Amino acid sequence: MAQQTRVRSLDDPDVFVESPATIYDAVPPYPPRTEREAEFYHLRDGEMLINLGPQHPSTHGVLRVVLKIDGERVVDLDPVIGYLHRGVEKICENGTWHHAISNCDPLEYVASMFSEAMPVLACEKLLDLQVPRRAEYIRVLAWELNRIASHALFMGWLSLDLGGLTPILYGFIERDEIVEMLNALTGQRVLFNYLRIGGVNGDLNHDFMSRLGDWMSHAAEQVENQTKLINENEIFVGRTRGLGVVDRATALRMCATGPVLRATGIPYDIRRAHPYSVYNELEFDVPTREEGDSYARYLVHVDEIKQSIHIIDQVLHQMPDGTVMAKIPRWIRPRPGRAWVSIESPRGQYGAYVMSDGSDHPFRMRIRDPSFFNLSLVGHLMPGNLIADTMAIMASLDPVMGGIDK
Amino acid sequence: MSVLARPWSRLTPAGKVVLPLLGLLVFLTLALLVGFATGLIPGLIRFVGDLLGANIGIVRFVVAASAILLMSVPTAFVIIYMELKVIALMNLRLGPNRVGPWGSLHSIVHGLKVLGKEDFTPTGVDVPVFTLAPAVTFLAPVLGLLVLPFAPGLLGIDMNLALLYFFAVSGLSVLGLMMAGWSSFNKYSLLGGLRAAAQIISYEIPLTLAVVGVIMLAGTMSLNQIVMNQSGSILDWYMFKQPLGFVIFFIAATAEGNRTPFDLTEADSELVAGFATEYSGMRFGFFFFAEYVGVFILSALTTVLFLGGWNAPFDIDPVLNALGIRFDLALDLARLDVGLLFLLALGPVVGTLLIALPIWMLRSDWSFLKSLVIGFILLNVLLAAAVGVWLALSFEAVVGLGWFLVKTYFFVFLFVWMRATLPRVRIDQLMGFAWKWMLPASLVNLFVTALAIIVVSEVR
Amino acid sequence: MTDNALKRRLETRLAGQLLGPVRARHDTTEIRIGAANVTSVMSTLHDEPQLRFEILADLCGVDTGDAMQVVYHLWSETTPDWLRVIVDGLPREDPRVPSVTFLWKGGEWAEREAYDMFGIIFEGNRDLRRIYMPPDYASFPLRKDFYLADDAARSPGQGFRHMELTHQPPEALPENLLRRSKL
Repeated sequence: MAQQTRVRSLDDPDVFVESPATIYDAVPPYPPRTEREAEFYHLRDGEMLINLGPQHPSTHGVLRVVLKIDGERVVDLDPVIGYLHRGVEKICENGTWHHAISNCDPLEYVASMFSEAMPVLACEKLLDLQVPRRAEYIRVLAWELNRIASHALFMGWLSLDLGGLTPILYGFIERDEIVEMLNALTGQRVLFNYLRIGGVNGDLNHDFMSRLGDWMSHAAEQVENQTKLINENEIFVGRTRGLGVVDRATALRMCATGPVLRATGIPYDIRRAHPYSVYNELEFDVPTREEGDSYARYLVHVDEIKQSIHIIDQVLHQMPDGTVMAKIPRWIRPRPGRAWVSIESPRGQYGAYVMSDGSDHPFRMRIRDPSFFNLSLVGHLMPGNLIADTMAIMASLDPVMGGIDK
Repeated sequence: MSVLARPWSRLTPAGKVVLPLLGLLVFLTLALLVGFATGLIPGLIRFVGDLLGANIGIVRFVVAASAILLMSVPTAFVIIYMELKVIALMNLRLGPNRVGPWGSLHSIVHGLKVLGKEDFTPTGVDVPVFTLAPAVTFLAPVLGLLVLPFAPGLLGIDMNLALLYFFAVSGLSVLGLMMAGWSSFNKYSLLGGLRAAAQIISYEIPLTLAVVGVIMLAGTMSLNQIVMNQSGSILDWYMFKQPLGFVIFFIAATAEGNRTPFDLTEADSELVAGFATEYSGMRFGFFFFAEYVGVFILSALTTVLFLGGWNAPFDIDPVLNALGIRFDLALDLARLDVGLLFLLALGPVVGTLLIALPIWMLRSDWSFLKSLVIGFILLNVLLAAAVGVWLALSFEAVVGLGWFLVKTYFFVFLFVWMRATLPRVRIDQLMGFAWKWMLPASLVNLFVTALAIIVVSEVR
Repeated sequence: MTDNALKRRLETRLAGQLLGPVRARHDTTEIRIGAANVTSVMSTLHDEPQLRFEILADLCGVDTGDAMQVVYHLWSETTPDWLRVIVDGLPREDPRVPSVTFLWKGGEWAEREAYDMFGIIFEGNRDLRRIYMPPDYASFPLRKDFYLADDAARSPGQGFRHMELTHQPPEALPENLLRRSKL
């Protein structure tokens, strides 16, 4: 039973060594590389390692978390990511600026309107390009719709990971309406590829507007219906309240952003903290909570949906006329320089740091994904909780592995 | 060979069926003739009849056991279909709608699929335990079915200690789950098995204590007797005499049957599939069946103990009498004489045509053959309904069975409803609930019941 | 828009530690420091009440072709600008930077990523191992001299899959594929 594995030595890649680990152990078959790894994989009496993922039903993709458990209680954990790593940054360096849009699209596949904005906004900043106001408004409209679609799904996922079957389908109903709407606008349901350097690809059309009108007429009510099922549910509240509490200092220290940070009471929303696009012309609140637990994060999401509906309402009233594309050169070659752009995605701060060397492709394109930083919080939140709580905590951080693994 | 093979290959598929049947018919006729001529067959029949008559208890048991074993699988199918469909409706989905009308054959196809899958035994498992575990798990609810009184006179065994027996065998299921969890050589399975042990053993206690009140009231542990004690008006049901006990029993039964919100043993978002993670094919199917038969028997037991079993909630005869409605169904088919022959021969044909013709005339896009088939099916449905009504009016047991099933499936629906609505509790909340709330509450119920019995008897 | 007050504050407070002038690019104020000053500069930026850059927006490595850089983006509510801190002039052979995990624990993963992609060593990071690539991976893919064929030769079709890793090593690595032996 104890089959030994032959593994590549870390010191010399050409040498194979007998690993002390059996194929059934979660312990990696190589000597520890860091102090932390040595500490983690040293098991005391009664402790056991268990692999959560990468094929686990509720790790939101291909996250693998090695849990060190004592009975049902999580003692320590080691998140292992990279199963979805594509090397987007490298791919972007090898393509033109236009290629980067569709390469960044699948990063945050639940709300891809945000990840595809990164190369677009960054390139516009490098080019010092003025985007038509109508295009800016359409972008805001698309972003906010996509934010609602993502948040609706979040509410469902959280409930599903707690064992509730129904809310996820209600969430999907809402998401489907929005996704169909954006399909009418962009021609794609998930990876929209809609934003362009200098504007957007195509003006609002009749199909989109009629769907949007239908949806706006019952959007607020639909959110109410969805939240009614879980907001006051005794089991749901009992399982999320007081769970995975992050205080302000920890949240700042752990570089958390988005709803995770706002649930601790810090109103850090890029739309307000550092307004981009036309957000400073729009009226909306930044919902915050003080508790910092899973339930607070959930409530922040619910409030943000309502605020987004409010923003969409204003955008539709203030939508200016005009073109949706600026005049841009066919061959985009920004002057050498560097730029940092940052927007508020449903999961937090999406950022991009780009460098141009004057050629037609980015010299360096760094994508800052909010889920990546938010997910690193699990190391702080999970120890001491039960295995069942790992799901509630992980789902409330709302990670999207496409962005984390890049 | 080719002498036989060539003509055989020329036969149509129908011919390939009919020809062997003809051969068989000829053989059987000859055998029967010879048997009767020699007096062998009548002797055999007499001998077997005597044998069965002498051991009527065993015969009855074997028949009941076989019937119940056969019954358990369709019950599971019905509940699976019900769960799929009801949860789908609650989720605003369509649910299964491909196989059969409204997808009603879906769970049968499901069962066939499970049968057709590879029966996989992973490396490292404890093979005998791993193999036995599904059978043990399935055995527990099936054995429980044996003592359930479905209708007056319709029960496997009228046992004196039926309730005790029931809890004893349903406790067996935890053994199966533990075996599965331990032998699977998987940490998720192990956690699932251990959770099963902790949960089911904890909830056995309030489950049993909640029933003690009923036992005290009824003065017996025979389920049949308990149901008979509840006959009379609806207020005689123990649900109204033991409201707290009823609630405790239902909650504990939810935990006992591993149903949401207490389905921690196979919590799919935490433990993948818990104890069943490493199982595939029909072994997994056994766990599946066990769960749904378990739901059925727990609902049935709730019905029997608290909702009066087969007793009707109201007596329909006085109402009918008051309205002046009387059914006289003393059919004397023999009076028809030769007419009966005509009825049997022509009835189906005429009936089918009578239904099929209007359909054909209304639906111009249907062929006549299709209308005929639909007409024939409808005729059968109508006839079955007529026979059902006749049975219900003629036999008490059928009405009783009807009420029993209505009540039981109401509880099954309740289980499904909870599954669609509620999230799952955590293991510490679950255990805390059992020991901190359910156990004291069931003890309070017990003492109050005892006190009430004493007070009432003293007053009298 | 440029926050000149911030520029002045930075110039006075960090005088002597900056490698160049404080520059403004778009809505970002940019300073350059050397690797030796990272700890003190970051502590100052984080702790000083007038600066109070509490949010580490980003941490990434850059390979300019000549030298390595580590770029931090910070945000504070005292200024509307982003602050970009560039640690410049790290040698390509052995880039070493003090870790900022003592201020921002969340920077740990970002530092791991920079190590994984560029081979930049962050001194003081307790968990500096590869984060995206498999543990036995030998290259640093975002470096400008990364060459895919070299990489393929160095990791012949196997990442670290310890469930199935039973192959014998190839007899000899094809030398012609190893364009550069060491990065």
